[in-house]
Amino acid sequence: MKHNEIKQLLQLSLFGELKVEEQLILKEHLVSCDECRRELEDQKNLMEIISTRKKVNVDDKMLSAARYQLRGALRAEKAGRSVLSGLKENISQFFTTPIRIAIVSVSILLFGILIGALIFRTSTTPVVDQAENTDQFAMLNNDVRISNISFIDSDPSDGEVEFTFEASKPVRLRGKINDQKIQSVLTYAMLNEQNPGSRLNSINAMDTESPAHLDPDVKNALITVVMTDNNPGVRREALKMMKKFPYDEAFKKALLYVVTNDTSSGLRIEALNSLIEAGKQGYKLNQNELNLFKQQLQQDKNNYIKLKARTILQEYN
Amino acid sequence: MELDDTDLILQAQKGNESSFEELVYRYDRSVLSIALKYTLDEDDAKDLYQEVFIRVYRGLKNFRFESEFSTWIYRITTNVCLSYKSRSKDHLRVSIDEDYDDEEKEFSIAQELIYDGSSPEEMTSGADIREIVGEAVESLSPKQKMTFILKHYEGYKIREIAEMLNCKEGTVKKYLFEAIKNLRKKLSPIYA
Repeated sequence: MKHNEIKQLLQLSLFGELKVEEQLILKEHLVSCDECRRELEDQKNLMEIISTRKKVNVDDKMLSAARYQLRGALRAEKAGRSVLSGLKENISQFFTTPIRIAIVSVSILLFGILIGALIFRTSTTPVVDQAENTDQFAMLNNDVRISNISFIDSDPSDGEVEFTFEASKPVRLRGKINDQKIQSVLTYAMLNEQNPGSRLNSINAMDTESPAHLDPDVKNALITVVMTDNNPGVRREALKMMKKFPYDEAFKKALLYVVTNDTSSGLRIEALNSLIEAGKQGYKLNQNELNLFKQQLQQDKNNYIKLKARTILQEYN
Repeated sequence: MELDDTDLILQAQKGNESSFEELVYRYDRSVLSIALKYTLDEDDAKDLYQEVFIRVYRGLKNFRFESEFSTWIYRITTNVCLSYKSRSKDHLRVSIDEDYDDEEKEFSIAQELIYDGSSPEEMTSGADIREIVGEAVESLSPKQKMTFILKHYEGYKIREIAEMLNCKEGTVKKYLFEAIKNLRKKLSPIYA
């Protein structure tokens, strides 16, 4: 084996990627080769140095935050998809009868003529101009929110600027809480609305409805809010509402998360009470969860929580 | 009884959202870990994590079980990482399709940017070693960095990395050897 190949084996050996026969070859070679022995030491030192790179690990808090953001993104993705699939469905339905096919054929022909006429005309840039498009500007009344302004031409030396922006208009909706669409908007608000008051209102609004009439997504959203919302008031309301749903594994995990991670002692106590209640009804924690629980609760500064902890460990044992 | 990936995928393909969620929860810690070790930035890592699972969500309908689901997810993860451009820093990045020569070129540019002409003594005494190591890893080409991180910091096997990157094991080894060569060059003032 060439010296260079041996050096590669050295590197692979440090990664634990050598086959048995390669290990033997390397071992034999190292006995007789000073240079490779030095090289091996050198590589070990290098790996040691490289291991000092900043340590970054994913903790539960980061993972929960990432999941929370993902939920929002998936909701937006699903909303976009349902609009597209509805459109697709309508189009495919439209193409099912011969008369419609005929209408579409004529439309395509007319469209072709129109395109031809446009191609042979002098082209104009499709830019909204203030003087020529007063209607477009009339749309920008007080109701419209403008955001994400991005300049295409910010140089005013020629007296003009050009930019793009997004204009959104508030939508007013009135409906019954048991309406799935209303629930969908409120769930979205509960997870994504910036204003904690709005998040709280969304939870309280749905809290008036019986869990049987609520979408399963509502419960999942409540769990996410309980674990990740930065406002303790919102978390508390979400926890109160979550307790109305049947106790299950996801519910238990959320409660354990609150007990071991939440900064508010009131919420930790509330979660503990729920776990005690579940324990009385025969639900059990597994050994790992109990260990985690013991460990965390020994560190808790709140005496009342320590007292409750003893109760819960007795209940579960 | 816990369902295996195949059952969950089939259910998720029919639109069952909780099955999709369960699939996400099975792999998302590893995905986030790779993204975090690659970017060293929590916000960027969360962005990449989100991008990965949005792609998984969009592509799941067309998943035909031609590879392991985990391999597919990690392949998406590595692709997303390789095409990542930090929103906070102006990193040097190349397209994943660029060939090896370009990566070499990129490394030398990055090295020029990082090495400021200080003597080894000045470097070791004046700078935090951890920071220098971080910069040295950052200076690797995306593929070298990705293979090195997956191997050294995440502990994947070369065979697994080859599957993730959709290339041969020999190619992974080549990237690893080059990464070590470059790191050695960059870090020699510290450990020599």
